[in-house]
Order: sequence, then structure tokens, then C-alpha cells
Amino acid sequence: MSEAEEIVLSELTLEDLYELMKEDLYDGLAAEIVEEVNEALSRGQTPYEVLTYGLVGGMEIVGNDFRDGILFVPEVLMAAKAMKAGMFILRPLLAETGAQKIGSMVIGTIKGDIHDIGKNLVAMMMEGAGFEVFDLGINNSAEAYLEAIAQHNPDILGMSALLTTTMPYMKVVIDTLKEKGIRQDLIVLVGGAPLNEAFAEAIEADAYCRDAAVAVETAKKFMQIRKGVQI
Amino acid sequence: MSELFLGSNHSSEQSTGAQTSGEQNPLVVFMPSGRRGRFAPGTTVLQAARDLGLGIESICGGRLTCGKCKVRVEEGEFAKHGMKSRAGHLTPASEAEELLLHTMHADDCRLSCTAQITDDLLIFVPEESRAHKQVIRKAATDRIIDVDPAIRQVYVQVDKADLGEHRGDWRRVQDALEREWGLTNLAIDLLALRRLQLALRQGNWGVTLIIWNEREVLDIKPGYVEGIYGLAVDVGSTTVAAYLCDLRTGAVLATESTMNPQISFGEDLMSRVSYAMMNEDGTEKMHDAIIKTLNKLAAQAAYAAGLRGRDIHECVAVGNTTMIHLLLGIDPRELGGAPFALANRDAMDIKARDLGLKLHPAAYLHVLPSEAGHVGADNVGVLIAEEPHRQPEIELIVDIGTNAEIVLGNDKWLLSASSPTGPAFEGAQISAGMRAAPGAIERVRVDRESGRANFRVIGETRWSDEWDFSENTAAYEQPQHLASGICGSGIIEAIAELFLAGILLPDGRFNSAHKTDRLVWEGRRGAYLLALPEQTISGKAIYVTQDDVRNIQLAKAALYAGAKILMKRAGIERVERIVLAGAFGSFIDPLYALVLGLIPDCDPQKVVAVGNAAGDGARIALLNRSKRREAQELAVRVHYIETAVAPDFQDEFVDAIHIPHASDAYPHLAAILPPPLESTPVDTARPRRRMRQSRS
Repeated sequence: MSEAEEIVLSELTLEDLYELMKEDLYDGLAAEIVEEVNEALSRGQTPYEVLTYGLVGGMEIVGNDFRDGILFVPEVLMAAKAMKAGMFILRPLLAETGAQKIGSMVIGTIKGDIHDIGKNLVAMMMEGAGFEVFDLGINNSAEAYLEAIAQHNPDILGMSALLTTTMPYMKVVIDTLKEKGIRQDLIVLVGGAPLNEAFAEAIEADAYCRDAAVAVETAKKFMQIRKGVQI
Repeated sequence: MSELFLGSNHSSEQSTGAQTSGEQNPLVVFMPSGRRGRFAPGTTVLQAARDLGLGIESICGGRLTCGKCKVRVEEGEFAKHGMKSRAGHLTPASEAEELLLHTMHADDCRLSCTAQITDDLLIFVPEESRAHKQVIRKAATDRIIDVDPAIRQVYVQVDKADLGEHRGDWRRVQDALEREWGLTNLAIDLLALRRLQLALRQGNWGVTLIIWNEREVLDIKPGYVEGIYGLAVDVGSTTVAAYLCDLRTGAVLATESTMNPQISFGEDLMSRVSYAMMNEDGTEKMHDAIIKTLNKLAAQAAYAAGLRGRDIHECVAVGNTTMIHLLLGIDPRELGGAPFALANRDAMDIKARDLGLKLHPAAYLHVLPSEAGHVGADNVGVLIAEEPHRQPEIELIVDIGTNAEIVLGNDKWLLSASSPTGPAFEGAQISAGMRAAPGAIERVRVDRESGRANFRVIGETRWSDEWDFSENTAAYEQPQHLASGICGSGIIEAIAELFLAGILLPDGRFNSAHKTDRLVWEGRRGAYLLALPEQTISGKAIYVTQDDVRNIQLAKAALYAGAKILMKRAGIERVERIVLAGAFGSFIDPLYALVLGLIPDCDPQKVVAVGNAAGDGARIALLNRSKRREAQELAVRVHYIETAVAPDFQDEFVDAIHIPHASDAYPHLAAILPPPLESTPVDTARPRRRMRQSRS
């Protein structure tokens, strides 16, 4: 209990409730997020509104501060965990209401690469931004990516590599997508310590994302273009 | 202030921030320093080097007379830098340049003062062209070694050849060896066999034989002669060291070391593996380069000891797994990705001549065994030198490089792991980073009140606050070297001191509430002014940027998490002793290693640096053959743990990002750590409404 001032959620205006949600997400307070999500729902907010104005809005601030070097990996992971706690309540409701998703992504580290912390961070931030993420884990062959693409039909394929020696395999995956004639159906984003823009261009990925925050921004940008074209 | 924030941990041009020209300009990477930048076409290589704060010798100033500034273009595709380097990416050489290079026997070089950049380049600056020579501190340390080498010398009196008796001279020698020394089942090297008959007759049937491992005769000499020698080599990815030993006494007769020439093909191991993957002759080129270097070191060491290369009868090598693959000419590509399969984990004996090594023509090369895909013979060398398996105390041994090898254990059990720390500790990924060379900031103290730094650079004994630039100061009283960058030990001390002074918060952010005038801000991003413009060689200030701190946090967290996983698997919470192996470990102050949280809590008195223990291990194996058996047993016995796939690795890694650690206590530092902050200072730039202090 606080010595300073006890906040009674039910007494807050809706605007303050969303503000609080963003702050608690920033501070990685999972239990508080659960309370606040429930409070917002009990006031008749739709799951989509809670997601957008509370969680996604909060994660955007986290993403920006990560990009600017104010927050670092531990803080972002804490925030993402709090986000996950909120999503645990919202996900089934969103499915029920058939709310439109921002987009979906299949992600995994490339064959030969077993280092996945960076990939995990991207997956969490993408979820935080409202994307549906299918995480294939580590050490993925072209076949594994293809199988997941067939199964989930994602908008985005994300590949990550920590080693200079494993990143060339990304080209193998992209070439396989071309062979199968599905390359143009996917936004291919790549990242990892040894990569750069020139490499992404050379293997004909759609973009190189230098960190998790950039990955989210890039994914959103591409989704806008994609939806714009589709409509 | 714009040059300040160029050192992003993400950009591929992350070195000195000397220029800011456009993305389209050619990329130039200098080896071995690793400095890089983009330069407008038409810039001379010398100018580019100087802009990056790299010293290249030049006396004539572009008049094509001194030839001091020669450099070499390394050709090939370098995936790590995302570039193709070609000799044709420089303007063609004039006749005068070609002539000068030819007279200097440097036809493969170019003069950096006149060659202009037209496209991407990887440039190797040979040692003789460097204005600041590298400081390489790999010296053989004193350890007690029982001398019982694989090479021995025996004298025998052989039966004379006689009519009616057809044993053959070699059989007669074998019979004598069995009779006088109890040696049986010996083989003989063909080259020795060729000398056998003449030696027997010249020595009047008395000969001295050089025998390897009681299995093979390597040489035969008339009469009684004495003198057997061996070479222990440590093939590091940065430095190659060779110790020439007298195999009778164990004495080190000469020590030679040099840069590993493979650096031109890739700074770190994975870049070199990648070079082998991308270039058809990559393995061969890197193999040839290391063999040439070993031949040079062997010749130099022999010369220094008054011997010749052919007097070296055996060589023992250690190195990480990639180095051993390349030394043997084995394509290292399998080490480039999981499951990191070694061509051979066990110890090997190979005829040195098969590798093109110029030692005794029948000499053997013994390669110590490896433990796992990324824990190589160098770590096994450390084990036989440090002998954690012979003591009850639980010891943590850490060998820090771009890949840190970690061993934990005692006389009952041994665990090992490898952690990808990346090149930050070697000065890469640090905005003002450099290798340990003259001018590198290696020691840092931050005044607790003013928050101002006092530092010391390599090559200069005085601390920066004693530097005197006033005009009437005699030249010899002025500093020998101004600061040109920060090396690994310097950045560790800088960050640890900034933390102790409260300028850096435990989460790695700069503390905007600190009153020091050395913090500068660009928006909400802080940076710390370490060296003033007048204290640096370039005249530009040296900063510790937020990204520098972040990169060191990641590197140290990888190391700590690796050690912690081993401790958890062993079920222990404390280690009794910590050994810092490797050249880098010798230069870190144990206290700062603890403050930073690079290693787990331990009594600072029990954190010891042992220098190049891998090299010592090679020397021990050279001088004592039973140690080779021990090495093989240890290599198999050490239980290797793949920490990257451990389910708890991510949590351990994340907790270790904090300085010194988010949850693990450092009771031994209780007296010096800053008190925990009551609350983190609130960001000034983005006002956040604190609606409450805490909730249950």
C-alpha cells in the first residue's frame, strides 16, 4: 500500500486510467496492468479500445525511449511482460469480437544461429504494437519458415542472425520464397548484429531493422503501404 | 558536437566519427586497427587514415622518395563490412610509385600518400608503416614444470657392418637402441634414414639419435652431440606468440610475438570463417598467412637464441578452434553455425613439413585437443597451466576475448562454456575505441565531487592531471603520447568509475541529476566528456557515449550470464577464486571487473590475472609429455554447457545488464558501492506525471 496517495481506479477519469496504464506499462507492472485492463473493460470500453489507447499506446512510448537509449533491454522486457499480462485478458475477447489486427508475423533465428535474445525482443515489441506473432524459435531452415508461412499466412516474415557466418542463409530462404512464388505476398524484415542495410538490399529483403523499436516502426510502415494498396 | 553521437552501436561505421560524409562515398576499413569510415573519392589513403586518427609513417610528404607510408590492399569480399575490396579501387600507380615500391621489394603494396580512393577498400597497414607500433604483452611466465619432453637424445654404439651379416644399418641401430636403452618398435623418418649410413661411418659407428615419443627416429648425427629444442606457439586471433625452449632444461631461450596476419581477412573469428565461406581460396589464404607468420617467428626466435630453424625438433600449438582449423588448412565453415562441429576434437601429431613449417625437416607439430565447437586447445592449455582439477577450491577461470571461455570447477568436477561477448572489450563497438597501443586511455579515475576524469594513456607514465603543456616546459617533460582513444581496460575503468561517482545509474543511463560539468546532452541522450580536446592527438574531445555504455553492458552481461549458468548447474552461489586469463585479463583491475559486474562477487584479493595461460599451457605440453595425456583426458572430462540454449540464459543475461547486477549481491564491494538510489531520477525532457509512489 502506498503511504503517499492511494489511487482508486474506479475514481479515475477514463483519460487518467489510460494515462496510468501507459505509466505502469512503462514501469513493467504486470499486476497493475491486469487491474487496469479489467477496470477499462468494466466501463464498457471495447477490447480493441483498451488495446489501442492503453497497451499499444504505452508500448509506443517504451519503443521510442528504447530507440533513444533511455530504456534498455531489461526495462523493455519488463514492459513487454506487463503487456503480455494485459493481452492474456484481451486476446480471447478480441478474437470473439473479430477486431481487425494490425498484422501478423512469423519470426525465427536463421539456421545455425542459436542466439535468440534479440529476436525475442522484436517478437515482444511486435506483440506490444498489436501484431500477432508466431515465434519459431531458433535454428530455422527454409522448410521450417515455409511450413509456418503456409500455416499462419502472415503479412511479415522476420529473420534474425547474430553470426556473420549464418546470415548468408537468409538469402537461401528468400530465394526459396521466390521459387515458390510467394515472395511478393510477404514483407521480409531482417535483423541482427552483423547485418546492415546493404546486406538486406543484396539479399532482396524488404528492410533491415537495426533494433526492436525500428522493427516495429518499419513493420507498421509496410503494413500501411500494404493495406493502402489492397484497398 | 555533431561528431559526438556518430558512435551508434548499430551503424557499421562506428569508429572514430572523424568524418560525416554521405552514405554513397566509398567505405575504407583499415586493418589491423579496424577503424573505418566513408571518404569522398579522390581522398588519399594517408589522409583517410589521418582523419580516422590512425598514424601512418610518412617522411617525404608525398614526394615519392621515402616509401614509409606503404600499405596493402586486401582483395576479396568481406561480408562483415558489406563490401568488395579490389586493388583497382585505388587510382592506378604512377611509374615513379611502381619503381619505388619495386626497389623496396614491396610490389604488392601502394604508397598511401599518393593512392586515391575510388571505391570500397580494405587496407592493411604493415607493422613497419605504423606510426604507433602495437604493444603486445605476451611473455612466458614462471611456472614450475617437470621437464620430460617428447623429444629425447640418445647416443649408441652400433655394431659395425660385416660381410656375411645382412641385418642392414637401420636394424643394427635398432638392435643397439634396444640393447642400450630398451627402446623397441621404433620407426625412422625417411629423411633420417637418408642420413643414417653416412652418419654411422663418420661417427665411427657411434651416433646420436633424436627420438620422438619413443616411437620414431627424427634425426641421426655422427658421434656425440647435444642440444634439443622445441617451440611452443599460441595462435591467438589477434596475437601470435612463440616461445623457443631448451628441451633439456626447460629454459625459455627466446620469446617472439606478432600480430596475426589473418586480421586482414576478418577482425573476429566469425568474420574469418565467413571469409572462408565467401572466397574459394579463403581457407588457403588464411592458412598460408599463419604458416608464414609461424615460420617468421620460428626463425626470429631461433636467431635470437643463436640457433637455426632446423634445430627446432618439435612444436606444440594451442589456439581457439577456428585458429586450429586454419592452422591445419581445414575449412572452418562448420564452426560458423550450430551445431559447431569440429573436424577433430582430439590431440594431433602432424609432420610439420606437411604444413610447410620450416623447422627440423622431420619435426612434429603437436596440437592440443579442444573441448567443444567454441572451446579450443587454448582453453585446454589454460587448464593444464592453471590446474583447477588439482585443487579443492572452487575456481572460476575466465579467458576474455571476442568470445569468452569460462571454466568452473575443482578437483571433483569441471564445467565449461563459451559466451559471445563480442569485440567491445577489444575497443571495437566503442565510439573512441582502439586496441591497446600507445595513446590508448587505459586507466581512468573520476573525481567523486567534480565528476571530472583523470586518466593515463599507454606509453605515458604520468596521469593526465600532471600533463604540462605550457610553452616553457621542456619537451621531455611534456607527455610522450596524447590520448588517441580508449582501449578495453580503459572503457571498463571509465564505466565502473562513472558508476561509482554516481554519474552513471545502475541501469546504464547517464544521471541527469548529477551536477558535473562533464555530462553533455543531445536531447535526452547523454555522453561523458572523458578527454578534453587539448589532451587528444586529434584535437577532438573523447567521449563515453550512451551506446558505448550499452555495448559494454551487453558484453559483460554475456560473460556474467555464462558464468552464472555454470554456477547454477554446479549448485553453488559463490566462487572462492577467480582467474582472469588472456592478455586482456592482465590489464583489467580486478576491482573494476567486480564493480562493473563482469565477474561474480569474490574477494578482490582472490581475483588474479595469470597472463597468457594458454601460451604457458603450450609450453608445459612441450616440456612434459605426460601433460599431453592429461590435456587429452581433461578435454574429454570437462562438461561443456551450451549456455545460449539454456532456458534460463535470457533471464540471467537480462539481470546481468545492470551494474553491477540487478539481483546478485556483491558483499565484497559493500564499502565502495554507491548507496542504492531512493528513486530513479525522473526524465527531465519528457515530463511524466507521477500519480503515485508505490502500490502494493
